Amino acid sequence: MVLLDQVSKRYGRGPWVLRDLTLEVSGLTVLTGANGTGKSTLLKIAAGVLRPTSGRVERPASVGYVPERFPSDVRMSASSYLAHMGRVRRAGANDVLERLGFVGSMTAPMSELSKGNAQKVALAQAFLATDVLVLDEPWTGLDPGAAEQLVALLEGRTALVSDHEGHLASATRVDLAGGHVTIDLSRVAAVDVLEALEGVRSVQTRGSSVRVVVAPDRSDQVLAEALRLGCSVRSVR
Amino acid sequence: MTSLVRYLAADVLRGQRYLAPLLVFLGVMGMLFSSDAGQPLEAYSGSSALLYPISAWVAVVVATSEDVVRREITVVSAGGWARVLTASALVAVLFSLVLAVLASVWPVVTNPHPYTAGEFFVGLAAHTGCALLGVGVGLLFARPVLDSVGRTVLAVFSVVVLTYPLGRVTPLGWVLDALGHNRVSPSLLGAVAAGAVLVAGAVVAGVRRA
Repeated sequence: MVLLDQVSKRYGRGPWVLRDLTLEVSGLTVLTGANGTGKSTLLKIAAGVLRPTSGRVERPASVGYVPERFPSDVRMSASSYLAHMGRVRRAGANDVLERLGFVGSMTAPMSELSKGNAQKVALAQAFLATDVLVLDEPWTGLDPGAAEQLVALLEGRTALVSDHEGHLASATRVDLAGGHVTIDLSRVAAVDVLEALEGVRSVQTRGSSVRVVVAPDRSDQVLAEALRLGCSVRSVR
Repeated sequence: MTSLVRYLAADVLRGQRYLAPLLVFLGVMGMLFSSDAGQPLEAYSGSSALLYPISAWVAVVVATSEDVVRREITVVSAGGWARVLTASALVAVLFSLVLAVLASVWPVVTNPHPYTAGEFFVGLAAHTGCALLGVGVGLLFARPVLDSVGRTVLAVFSVVVLTYPLGRVTPLGWVLDALGHNRVSPSLLGAVAAGAVLVAGAVVAGVRRA
């Protein structure tokens, strides 16, 4: 099981990519949402690649991860790469490559593989994990047969998967809210109070005004709080 | 950890980017010892001064061998950034220690002055110290501490170049001063310790930054 408790993430002093997100992954869970809503960031936090800015993450020891794009310039062969990853994980070989219909050379550098075959190698290394899978757009580059096989491989597994194309119809779905509302306030308010509000992604002070970027489903609450703080509202877009 | 070190070392060897620092090292060593390089310890000062930037270069090569995305997969597979960055530092140290041994043996074979076992081990300690200092500087400014290769090159180059004129203020200066005066000094071991601390600090900085 993976547990994300009140997880928020921002890069440096940039806008909030995720705010106060709580999620428990105990079966097959699909992550959906428009581009830029933080799906990949959330997956990286769940896998342990990124630390959240705030919040708590619990994950088991053996996590398998497939990134959004597997690098195309790997000089190691598929055979060597999977053998090394198996040793690093102290895991035995699996039959994922065969089931996905891998047809490239196992001994040639992976940089010579097609995009689809490289993706199959990426999936094979992830399936070496025994506990949880975290897969970012895993169907990228796969042919229809391999895509069907991947759905079958995921059955009964605990996995967090981003899926634009609806391959996993029966899985639990989590939709990350897309879009944002920009609120311009004409008076400098207590910026730290605004920043702490749920759904607020960024607060920028510009001279005597403040621009607040907020998730659409929280804009009413943020507006109400801004008015309560004595701000006057210039525009809401 | 052993399997992680083996994987990262295999990746570096396949990448061949280690060839550039290796060839520069071999070329300059050839020039340094093409004729009488002086008294045994004095002769080691040139190769020690050379090993410092070469080791920093090797460390940058090791730290950036995997691209960002593959490094993310390795981090998840290995169970965290701390393990991967520690293994990466070990690989850089191992590569640099091979060069340190080579630099210590080279003048024993080519220099007309006879070397005692004691002088050889003093040279080995000096080279080890310089190698560790170089690895520490390289890792301190490589990914994930600095994300851009351009910034890494600029930072490592600047620090390496600035280290020499500082003389005995730095651990590198302790080594070069002792060897240049044909003197055995406890500061050689101090340089080894300082190098080890710098490497450990670079790993910690990387884990905090990742």
